[in-house]
Amino acid sequence: MNRALAIAALLLTCAVGSIFAQRGGTVNPFQGNAGAVHDGEGLYSQHCTGCHGPDGSAGEIGPAIVSGERTDFGAADAQVFNTIKNGVPGTPMSPQKLSDEEIWKITAYIHALRGTAIDNPLPGEVAHGEQIFWGKGQCGNCHMLGGKGGLTAPDLNNIAGTRKASTIVDALTKEQHREYASGGAHLKSLPPMGSYLPVHVTTADGKVINGILLNQDGYSLQVIGNDQRLRSFDRAKLRRVDIEPKSLMPTDYDKRLTSGEFKDLLAFLTRQGTKPPSPASGGPLRGDDQ
Amino acid sequence: MICKNDPATEFGDKLTHIAAALRMITGLLLSGSVIAAMAQRPDPKDWPAYSGTDNGQRYSPLKQITTANANRLQAKWVYHVDGASGMEQTPVVMNGTMYISQFNRVDAIDARTGNIIWKYERPPASASPQRGTVVYNDKVYMVTSDSHLVTLDARNGGVRWEVKSEGGYVFSGAAPIIARGKVIVSGNRPDGFVQAFDAETGKYAWSWIAVPKSGEPGAETWGGAKPEGGPMWMSGSYDPESNLLYYGTGQPNPQWTGFERLGDNLYTECIVAINADTGKLAWYFQNTPHDTHDWDSTETLVLVDAIFKGQARKLLLQANRNGFYYVLDRTNGEFLLGTPFVSKVDWADGLDSKGRPIVIPGHDPSVRGTTTCPSTAGATNWPAPTYSPDTKYFYVTVAEGCGINFITSSTAPNAGTGYIETSNAPWQAYVRALDATTGKKVWEYKPVRSNHYGPGLLSTAGGIVFTPEQFGQVTALDAKSGKPLWHFNTGDLITASPITYSVDGEQFFAIASGTNVFAFGLQGVSP
Repeated sequence: MNRALAIAALLLTCAVGSIFAQRGGTVNPFQGNAGAVHDGEGLYSQHCTGCHGPDGSAGEIGPAIVSGERTDFGAADAQVFNTIKNGVPGTPMSPQKLSDEEIWKITAYIHALRGTAIDNPLPGEVAHGEQIFWGKGQCGNCHMLGGKGGLTAPDLNNIAGTRKASTIVDALTKEQHREYASGGAHLKSLPPMGSYLPVHVTTADGKVINGILLNQDGYSLQVIGNDQRLRSFDRAKLRRVDIEPKSLMPTDYDKRLTSGEFKDLLAFLTRQGTKPPSPASGGPLRGDDQ
Repeated sequence: MICKNDPATEFGDKLTHIAAALRMITGLLLSGSVIAAMAQRPDPKDWPAYSGTDNGQRYSPLKQITTANANRLQAKWVYHVDGASGMEQTPVVMNGTMYISQFNRVDAIDARTGNIIWKYERPPASASPQRGTVVYNDKVYMVTSDSHLVTLDARNGGVRWEVKSEGGYVFSGAAPIIARGKVIVSGNRPDGFVQAFDAETGKYAWSWIAVPKSGEPGAETWGGAKPEGGPMWMSGSYDPESNLLYYGTGQPNPQWTGFERLGDNLYTECIVAINADTGKLAWYFQNTPHDTHDWDSTETLVLVDAIFKGQARKLLLQANRNGFYYVLDRTNGEFLLGTPFVSKVDWADGLDSKGRPIVIPGHDPSVRGTTTCPSTAGATNWPAPTYSPDTKYFYVTVAEGCGINFITSSTAPNAGTGYIETSNAPWQAYVRALDATTGKKVWEYKPVRSNHYGPGLLSTAGGIVFTPEQFGQVTALDAKSGKPLWHFNTGDLITASPITYSVDGEQFFAIASGTNVFAFGLQGVSP
């Protein structure tokens, strides 16, 4: 029965898919369809990995087509579809001899690769994960969520809207981790410091202020104190500044929690955020008439 | 380190204490009188809202920088906002942190050094300028290009809540303001409106719409046409004592042809007073009945308590785009005075005893072109004016000059249009000091080359009028004489209004210029 239903659903999806493709529609008929994403992964490995890398983060020939930053979404699904179908003239990217359905499946896979955790949240008991967050995991001692918690680590309100599930897992388990595909890039703007290193500031009169370093240059420090107060220090007026080399973020959560607890924590974290509006739903807008 | 050693106990205890203290403070804040006092007079070191205070004066009691030492001003830092263009925003400052906004983006920086602390971005990425944010009770309130009101935690940029504008109305880029625990936001489309939301929870409270529906009071002033327009794209002012919000409304639609909307077209081109609790109209005053020149009455409304003709009065001051300087009684909207503040106003032969323009016919836009002074760009526009309680002068950026308005058809409603500068009267900007209660010009400063309105003004207890210019200069003027004391070239067009604040006893001026925010302070005060 279930099997029959599944086949019926698949047939229907395929039919809808081909209608859209025939019309040159702009909506991916397989968007969010886990089976199609799986099929797309297989097709991607066959046809795309050679140039664009196994995870879309660039290969020897082709550029990166997946970025860690949500706001970097360059192409909508329809553009990805057209690029695969028609190629990019003057480049090694040739038109791919695949059916429209296959191309939409690859597109669905690329979309999933580009999506953040909120698009592909991990399974588990979310309510239990929330208990772990505030309880055994002690995450809220430093992190803020929904206006509760500490200020000495990043606010996690939209963590699943800005990070991939894999990046969240890495942050909890790997001492050396980085935001997906964001390292080594030529920066286009000044980023916040983001390393949250512990700092001990000794003022001229010998008073020690402990906190987390939010930013620094050769002349000043921006510190959130352990008293949760933000301070700006003039280095010339300080006796001593000690910055610890490593953040206080534990990276052994897979060990300090049971596997069930860890799974549930991830289920909770990968649901903290909002899906951004699609690129088509709003663009730059001038707000008034002068 | 508390997170490392025993996070569960020590840190938890501290948090409990902090939470208790916060609850106590919040409790205090929630009593109306404290809120009123806080809102009207924030700590002078801070600049929490568009005009600094609720009264629209853009005046600061800070006086470290004075007429005597202004020649020692120097640039302290510059913060570049990548991807921005022609920033129009007033940065806001609270407890040493500055918040710089564009649509869908806020950068929080150390106001002493310019170093970034956090950055919030919300898709879709937008480079469009808007006019700023407001910070209140540890929250920053911003509007987005898809008409949401987003509330960020001022300390770390985390989203606390976001709500969409109510009823399909679309927020403009005006900076939100706070009135008695509500966030007040306005916009233009489909018609001018103001909406209020609970500042803590985001719960929608009320709307006020600038044009009446059929059968409502004011609908009879449209000659049978459907009332449309009245855009509200500037921040209002607020008097906590009377709990009244003051806003200006824009032009009626169709914008350039009036023959199908015969009548005064209420409540377009008005100054309106709205009860902040209920959203009900308390009174209105119409500057330009039946406007056909797009002279939006949205210019900043400045609330001043002063002696007017020997009597202590609660005044509302506005230099209007139509060329007249207005003094009203803000408790009831009574017209007290109106006088031109530019040399040529040719569309009206003054104002009558009620403040209604005595219109000189023949100035409606025409197919051949009709000259009118001032131009549609206006005798002034959105650049902020400032009022100094020390000099009792009203300082305003003005544009002298006339314009020629065209329409493409004299019979089609909503005909296309254009307006140009008249060749025989080239536009020239000035900064003018007016005696606030008589409107008489005391002095003027000519920003050479500036032919258009652009940047706004700021006055301080140090006797300074901080004066950015359209073509990038910033100048400190002596508030009494208009004499320039110091200047600096920021290297880009300025279309924003300045602020002042202090951190650890050091006073700064700040202004957005092009894609950068500049901060200035005294040499030798701090490295």
